[in-house]
Order: sequence, then structure tokens, then C-alpha cells
Amino acid sequence: MARLTMQELLSRMKKNRRFMENVTALRQLPSDQGTFAPFPDWVRPEIVSILGKRGIDRLYSHQSYAMESIREGHDVVLVTPTASGKTLCYNLPVLQRILEEPETRALYMFPTKALAQDQMHEVHGLIGDLKANIKTYTYDGDTPADARQAIRKQGHVVVTNPDMLHTGILPHHTKWQKLFTNLRYVVIDELHVYRGVFGSHLTNVIRRLVRICRFYGCDPVFICCSATVANPKEHAERLLERPVELIDKSGAPTASKTFILYNPPIVNRELGIRQSALTPSRNLAADLIANDIQTIVFTTSRLNVEVLTKYLKDKFSRKKPKDDQFVTGYRGGYLPNLRRQVEKGLRNREVMGVVSTNALELGVDIGDLEACIMTGYPGSIASTWQQAGRAGRRQGHSLAILISRSSPMDQFIVENPDYFFSSSPEHCRVNPDNLLILLHHLKSAAFELPFERGEKFGDENIEELLDYLEEKGILHRVDDRWHWAAESYPADEVSLRSINPENVVVVDTTDTGNHQVIAEVDWDSAFTSVHDDAIYMMESQQYHVDHLDLERKKAYVRKVDVDYYTDAMTYTNVRVIDSFETKHQGNLIAEHGEVQVVRKVVGYKKIKFYTSENLGYGEVNLPEKDMHTTSYWFTIPKDLLSKLSYTQAEIIDGLAGLAYSLHHLAAITLMADIRDIDRSIGDKSGEWFVRHGRDKRIITTGSDSEYNGGEIRRDAFDPTIFIFDAYPGGIGFSDLLYKEHEGLLRSAAKLIGSCPCSHGCPSCVGPILEVGVMAKEVALAILRLVGKA
Amino acid sequence: MSVKKRLERLTGETRPVKKPSNREKEISELRRRIDIIMTRRPEPRLSPPAQFRGEQVELQAVVRGEEVENACGRFYLARDVVNASSYHGSRRIDELSSLDMEKTAILANEPELTGCRPTEGLFLDTETTGLAGGTGTMAFLVGIGWFEGEAFITEQLFARDFSEERAALAYLSDRAKEKRFLITFNGKSFDVGLLSARFIMNRLPDPLSGLPHLDLLHPSRRLLGHRLENSRLGTIEREVLGLRRDGDIPGSEIPQRYFDWLRQRDGRLVGDIFEHNRLDVVSMATLTVHLAGLLRHDAERDDVCHEDILASARLLLDRGYGEEAHLFLASLLSSKSGGVASEAGRILSLFHKRSSNWEEAVGIWENMLAENDCDIFAVEEMAKFCEHRAGDCNRALKLVENILENANYLTFTEREDLVYRLNRLKRRTEK
Repeated sequence: MARLTMQELLSRMKKNRRFMENVTALRQLPSDQGTFAPFPDWVRPEIVSILGKRGIDRLYSHQSYAMESIREGHDVVLVTPTASGKTLCYNLPVLQRILEEPETRALYMFPTKALAQDQMHEVHGLIGDLKANIKTYTYDGDTPADARQAIRKQGHVVVTNPDMLHTGILPHHTKWQKLFTNLRYVVIDELHVYRGVFGSHLTNVIRRLVRICRFYGCDPVFICCSATVANPKEHAERLLERPVELIDKSGAPTASKTFILYNPPIVNRELGIRQSALTPSRNLAADLIANDIQTIVFTTSRLNVEVLTKYLKDKFSRKKPKDDQFVTGYRGGYLPNLRRQVEKGLRNREVMGVVSTNALELGVDIGDLEACIMTGYPGSIASTWQQAGRAGRRQGHSLAILISRSSPMDQFIVENPDYFFSSSPEHCRVNPDNLLILLHHLKSAAFELPFERGEKFGDENIEELLDYLEEKGILHRVDDRWHWAAESYPADEVSLRSINPENVVVVDTTDTGNHQVIAEVDWDSAFTSVHDDAIYMMESQQYHVDHLDLERKKAYVRKVDVDYYTDAMTYTNVRVIDSFETKHQGNLIAEHGEVQVVRKVVGYKKIKFYTSENLGYGEVNLPEKDMHTTSYWFTIPKDLLSKLSYTQAEIIDGLAGLAYSLHHLAAITLMADIRDIDRSIGDKSGEWFVRHGRDKRIITTGSDSEYNGGEIRRDAFDPTIFIFDAYPGGIGFSDLLYKEHEGLLRSAAKLIGSCPCSHGCPSCVGPILEVGVMAKEVALAILRLVGKA
Repeated sequence: MSVKKRLERLTGETRPVKKPSNREKEISELRRRIDIIMTRRPEPRLSPPAQFRGEQVELQAVVRGEEVENACGRFYLARDVVNASSYHGSRRIDELSSLDMEKTAILANEPELTGCRPTEGLFLDTETTGLAGGTGTMAFLVGIGWFEGEAFITEQLFARDFSEERAALAYLSDRAKEKRFLITFNGKSFDVGLLSARFIMNRLPDPLSGLPHLDLLHPSRRLLGHRLENSRLGTIEREVLGLRRDGDIPGSEIPQRYFDWLRQRDGRLVGDIFEHNRLDVVSMATLTVHLAGLLRHDAERDDVCHEDILASARLLLDRGYGEEAHLFLASLLSSKSGGVASEAGRILSLFHKRSSNWEEAVGIWENMLAENDCDIFAVEEMAKFCEHRAGDCNRALKLVENILENANYLTFTEREDLVYRLNRLKRRTEK
């Protein structure tokens, strides 16, 4: 069979009616010749010469601009597409400076070890060509102990990650005297990754870094790179707490690209279930690879990598049984050697198809691929562009296809192409002065250097916090200096990445003599998934939870074979403590501010498999979880709702459905994980709130009225939908949601209104079993009532 | 609202006490857990232990010493002279001043120590605010010691608060400059590194890192490790130096005592720490003399156990002192004390073999064989010698045949090797 070219394949696709029925957008992104500039005249001839040998005899305009800016000592943030030569923007000025002043030191920071490794290899390559005595090392948890001393003293360029800076470098800064005395450049790549909790931590790590630099008398230039987001300059300035110059006009040429958004067909209209994204993904991948078009397939889980790889391997190994490399997987967990082998195979086209998690999304060098299939929305528009950028890096025509799943985020993106293709709606938010986060870093900072009276560390009045720590006996003040006065090592007490490092281990006690740990559940979900008498499911095996021991953090389970599963019933009660801002929009009142959230698992339902019949209830006695955080909320006056001709229960279902879709849409705007924020319906006083009852949602006053129904008293309160920060103290999400209030409601109207399901589905208002059959209709009616649909 | 109030609200520390229902208890229990999660360690206690209640006692009244002032500020200095005629454990102090520097250099693996005098050494031990390391750990008490005449002098530099550290370090710096080498116990991986960090933090030059350094931990492990349950200084004192401490403060309590002192300023809190630290320093001096003594060959000695001598011989061999080791091993060999003697013979014969001293080596092997003709080591070495050196394949064959026939404790690989050798020897003898 003759092989088709990319263009032939595309025109065949466009003629395929069944395929095109599911395409919600097909855009041609034009090519661009690029804008070039010569090397600045201060660049050493040997650098120009080695770059020339690599085929670089001039710079893209943004590279030249960035290099000049860095050279002049400006802090910059670079926002240009994948493969626009960002790394050279900082490698060149750094190497130039080291050649001029060999004592110069630079610190590179990447969010993952794999990226750090990759960058080190790149710098190594340049240094090797220069034949210069410049040393580059990675310094992370994998660095052997005996190599560390040499790295501290001799490394010109030290490549690390924020976690290592936080626990391994800053608290031992005296060992790094040489580095900190001569530090001229700090490079922070993938800046957009540092948002939410991680970003709030990072700002504090940078505050500590700057503090240590000041002690050794250095003032490095910060060079940041970021994917395209709505607020790169603001974000960089918030992270670095200094003015930063934005460089976002790319001079790099781009190849033309066809970008397709594909929504798999609905297979069950009743439940709103679509065909699995894996099916079209594997068919398309097979088609492309068979036509000799080098293809990368992204999936959202490690499991899917394996499933797709197996399918494609089976398909192609029939023809090429010996060539096991032809199609391959790639994900975290593969050994470094194997990964390097795959990367090389991709560069020299021995590997024609690769299935990957987002491990290949960021800067790892794999050459220019021709097609990219994204199986499921990667979670953010920025990630989607980065993944798509893996295909067609310089010339020729390339193809990118995003195949959606059923989740509201996926559905909203593919059904609203303009939202996706126009300027980025995604905001990076951080709240470095979140008191809990700030306090952790204040402790670490005091461990590193005593605090002087009047010293600044962020915007808060830290003197009060220092006094607080002194009261706790952790710091000791003498002569206006606060010294670390405890035995512990504070950096070990907090992880930059996770909210709560605690886990509950699940112990299988089926075999009395041989207890085995079969899983770990994070602290928060333990309350709903492994409470006493829950059915815990793993790899299709059911386990009955005999006992959840919170003290020892263990859930004891044993294998059972029953015909039901359990669904925890929880209530979430939000009470407004302080409203920061209020606005009336139409007949709604939107606000944001500080709230108290109380959550409790009160019981569970037993639900029969297949029929979903309710088999009974059980009580759960677990402590409440109580936190203060920030929230955005809006209130719908009860008089307005009374105009609707639905029952009270139906209206509550409608509100729940609306909250469900707003929750997911808010996560898109915030580039947040769905679990980073949460939702609740109640009134502002916290006196009334909606919770799951035995058969339906009910309005109650608390957990005490357990199962005796709780009255439905819609007349007593103005329903309020809260979307709040899941991290105690808040991470800076709520004021942005408040600003986006109108847009969120409009998006919700679009999402629910355009969803083809009959009565509601996981893509719009949530599964019918959860929100009831009227939720979709009522949610839309409410939106019409407030003038949004 | 104040930052502190907001923080307390987040962590739920100041909650108006309502009726303590079960729910409240659950919540406060959860808060305690969250607190543990957040701090990972129980909070330090804010009041000192019971034995220090009552009227406060001045530091001066507990630890004899004086305030010292220098360009960097003030600190508290306690000085003590251990007289020549007094005993530390089983040793008289004046024995110590005759420290053999050549042996000390071997212990330290620092040849330049040979040219130093014992009085030029500075013994050093620190008491710190923790063991975690890093820049947040401070040495609040630095104990130093040195030989002066026949006596041993100790000085203890005490930072009564963080603000006195700089003056204490400056004083330490002056003392260190008068000396030419350093002796510590585990100082290479702890005390000296920690003090270096403190010098940097106080913007003072570091006088210690450049000095030749005998860290007693390593030679102690090598020379005494075979008979100690662990290599802690306290264990060595008890088992080797004949010193028993009464009421010594456990090391793990020291940081908290100092934190208590910072708040209470009661001399009784730190009295024990001074004594603990002083004894450590004097013990280091005794231990140095003891270890150096082990390396001195004295055939008449009967106070040293054979295992110690064997360990000393091994150390000497490793450091390139073959002749000295030879003497040790030869005397062990003639002592006929079972396992140690045969091990000494083994090492000694290999030493001779390496220096092509065949006669001596063969003598030892023959003796071993005379005692036990199935000694696998002696058989193998002798067979090799006969085959490759003496050209006596028949003797080699006999030795191997004999052991294969009569020994019943050979491992699989030993037997394989012997069979391989046997076959080769058979081929060669048949030719």
C-alpha cells in the first residue's frame, strides 16, 4: 500500500464524514518566517563558532533581545513557544560571563529531576565544544554523597530543583559559600508550574535565597521562562517580588499546523456517556504511524500509556517482529537508560511512535515530530500547547489533535474552540503570605540566619510572627535578633508540593498470619474511602474496611465478595467570617472573603452494583475537619427562586448541578486541579446548608439531626454557592474567581446549554444519580432567571 | 486583626472554651494531630525539669569561671588544671605528656604530625543545640584542652546567649593559632564542620579547617572496635580507660537544657553539661595516649590483649609500617594463642610473601601445616609455592590430595578450586 503524505492524509480525514461529525474545530495555524538578529558584539568568538557548528549562525530576535537585557542586569521572564530556543537565551550570557570571570556561579532550577538532567546534558554539550574548564553538575536527591563536596566548591553551573534548594542547599549555605559569594544568575524554568500551593512555597524559598545572597553580598539576575498564560509578568513579579521585564515576542519561525479538536461520539445519551478517548486515539495513531508519520501520543495516566503502547506494539510487531523499538512507551518510572534510548530513537527516527504521559511535555529534547495526539485534555491550555508543540518544531506541516473525555473541563474546551484558540484565559495565582506557608518558611529562614528587627520577609508584619515563634520556644530573641533555638531541622517539616504529606496505609488482613500493605490513601480521601465498614475497591477486588485507625494511620481491610459498593455521605458547612468585597450583578450578590469550613463524613449508603439500588445506610463516626480559608460565593435571593415552578427539592438539585459545573470551570481559569478547590451550598450565616440526605439533598442546620430527615425550608434562606480554596488559609484563588464571576456564569450556561445529554451527565451538571434527573433543566432555568442563559 | 490572631484562628489555638462536648474533644484531638503533622516533633517544654525549681542559682556558683571580654564581645570562660599526679580512669595525668608523636601521626594518617610536640595539640569537643546539622545548629559550649608541662589544661568557652558566640569563637581562634594540630572524637564529620559554619556565619576566618586533624573515632574503631558494643566515647571510657562517670547527663538532653538556660538563667541547668564536656576533653587525651601506646611495640607488655595487638598490626600494615607490624605479628605468632596466633601467621606470611621473603613465609606455612595439615590457607599457599616457586609439583599434589581426602569442612568453591588445582598438578606431574 502506498504511503500517504501528511497533506494527503489530512484531506482524506476532511472528506471522512463520520470523522468530521465529531470534530468541533479544525484550524489551520499559519507558518511564520521568523525574525532574526545577529549575535551581540560582546559574545566571544569561540561561542559564536561552536554555535555555528550546530547550525546556529544568527539569533531569533527575542533571543538577542533577552541576552542584551540579561547582560545589562535586568530580571526577565521569557514567554515564547516550545522550541523557540529559550535555553540559549540564558546559557549564552551565563557561559559568556564564566569565560570572562571564571569565579562566576549560576544556579538553574527545574521543577523535575528529569528536566534538570536534560538541561545539564545540554550545557555539558556546549561546554564540551568550547573546550573550556567550566563545570556543570546536577545537585538533587540522587547526587551521591561523595560527589557533593566537589559540586559545592567547583560547580560553575549547579542544576537543581526547588525542593533541594529548600531542604538541601539553603539550610547548609555555609557549605556553599563559594557559590553564594559568586552567584550572578538564577534561572527558573517552567515558571507556570509554580502556582497554587507549590508557587506560594516557591516565593518563600526565593525570599530565603535572596536573604542568603544578601548575607554573602551578591545580587543575582533572575531569568525565568514560562509557558503562555494570561499573566506571566504579574506571576513572575509575584514570585520574585521585584520588577521583571516581559519578553514575549517570539522571533522563531514556525511551521504550519493543523489543529483539530475532537469530541468522541455519545454512546449513551441517557447517562451522557461518550466513547472512550482511547479508541479514536489508537486508531488515529495507528493510521499515522502506518503512513510513516512520526507521532507522539499523550495520555493522562501511566496505565493508559501501557494500554495504548500494547495495542500499537501488537499492531506493528506483526509486520516488524524484531523491531521492538518501532512503537514504545515513555513515562516516569522507566529507568533513565531506557528513557535516553527512546529519546535518541525519536531523534534518529528509529522510534516512529511514542506513547507518553506529560513526562515528555516539557523541554526534553526529542527532535521534531510530525503529529501529536492528545488523549484527554491535559488539564490546562498551556500544557495543551506545550504538548502540541512537540509536533512540527521547525518546518513542514504538522498535525495536533486533542481528543476529549467526558469531564466538564474536556467538554468545555472542545465545545468552545474560541475560548481555547484566543489569548490564554489561564491565570497563575499564588499566595505566599498564606500564614501557614509563611510560618513554615519563616522557621526555615530563621534556621538559616537570625532575623534582625525591621527585616522584611514578604508583606506581613513578621515581627508578630517572630514573637509568636518565640513564645512557642522555637526562636530566642536577644538584642533585636531572633535566633533558631530548637533541635529540629525545619525544612524537613514541610513538602513544597503537597498540602498534607500524611497518608493512610491500607492493610489487608485476610491472611491472618500475613498482613500486607496493599495501598496508600491520602489523608483527606481516607475519610470518605476507608471509613469503618466501607467497601474499598482495588483492581476489581473488594475489601471490607474493618477498622480505620487514624492514630496509627492504618485501615485494616479484608477481602470480601459482595454485590454492593459504599458511597460516603458528607456534609460541608461554610460560614462567612469576613467579606472582603461585594458587588451586585443583575439580581445576584457576589462576594469573596474569609470563611470557616467544617466537613464531616456522617454516614454511607450501600449501593447495589448494576441496578444502583439503595441497599441501606450506615453511620460513620469520624472527627469533623475544620479549617479557615478563602472563598468566592454568590447569593441568589429566595424571592427570585420562588418564581420558578419547581419543587424545593428540585431547585436544590439544580443549584447543586450549577455548583458542580462552576467548580470545574473555576479550575480551568485557575489552572488548578479539581481538588485544589471545593464547593458547597448554604447560606452565608452557616446556619443552613445543603447536604446529602437519605434519598435527596436536604437543608439542615447541622449534623445532629442525623437521619430524621431535616426539614426543607427553602424559605428560610437565600441560597449561596461557595467555591472555596481547599488549602487552609487560601492560596489566592478567590479574588480572581470573584473578578471572573460574570464570565464563570456565562461559561456555565454554555457548558450546560450545549451539552447533548438528556437530563444531565458528568460533563455538565454531574451524574444523574448524584444530582437527580431535574438538575440540568433547573440549573438552566436558574441561569435564565439571573440573565445568563 | 493582628497576624498572630489570624494565625491562631487558622490553627485553632485560641478557641473560646464552650461546653466541652464530645465534638470539641474530637476537634482538639485533631488539632493536636495537625500540630504534630506541622511540627513533626512535640513542642519544646517551656518550664525546666522539677529538680531545678526553687530559687535560681547563679552560673558563677555552679561553674567556676569568669567573664572574658575581647574585641568581639563577651562570653564566659571556665578554666581547669588537671594536676600531674591526679588520675583519669586508670591513668595518671603525667603519663599523658609523654605522648609519642610518631605514633600519633600514624593514628591520624598525617605524617606532618611527627614534627610536632605533644604540647602543640589542641583537644576539642563541642556541645551543641542539636544534632541535625545545618546552619541552625550552634555550638554553645566549646571545650578545649592541651598539655602544659606535666599537667593538662582545659578551657570551656560558654556562650551565655547567641549574642556571645562571636566573642567565644574569636577566643577559640586565638587559642587555635597557638597550636599546630587538632584532636577530636568524631570531629571530622561533626564538630569541626559545625564550627566552620559558625565562623562563616559570624564573618570570622576559620582557623580549624586547615589544621592537621586526628579524629580519634576512626583509629578507635580500628583498634578497639573488635571488643566494643559501639564506638561511643562513653563506651570506650568504661571498657578501655577504666573510667566510670556518675550522674553524667545523657547527650540527648543537652540541647533542651541549654534552651531552658536561655530562658531561666539558672546555673544548675548547665552545670552538668560543663562537667560532661570537661570529662570528654580529658578522656580524649587519655584515649590518644592509650591508642598511641598500642602502636608501640613492647614485648614485655602483658596488659594488652592479643586482639588489640593484632588490630594494631593491621593498622600499621595499612599505613605502610611493615617493619613495626612485623614485630607485633611475630610476637603474636610465638604467643601460640589460638585464633589470634594463626591469624597473625597468616598476615605475617603474606607480608613476607609480598616482599619475596620466601624462607620466612615458608617457615610459617610449614609450622601451620605441622599443626594442622588440613589448614586450607596454609595448604593453598604452600601448594602455590611448591608448584610455581620451588618446582615441586609432587609435594603440592600431596598437600592437595590430602586435604581433599581428609578435610570435611570445605565450602563448595574451596573444593572446586582445589579440584581444579589437583587436576592441573596431576597433568604436570604426569608429563
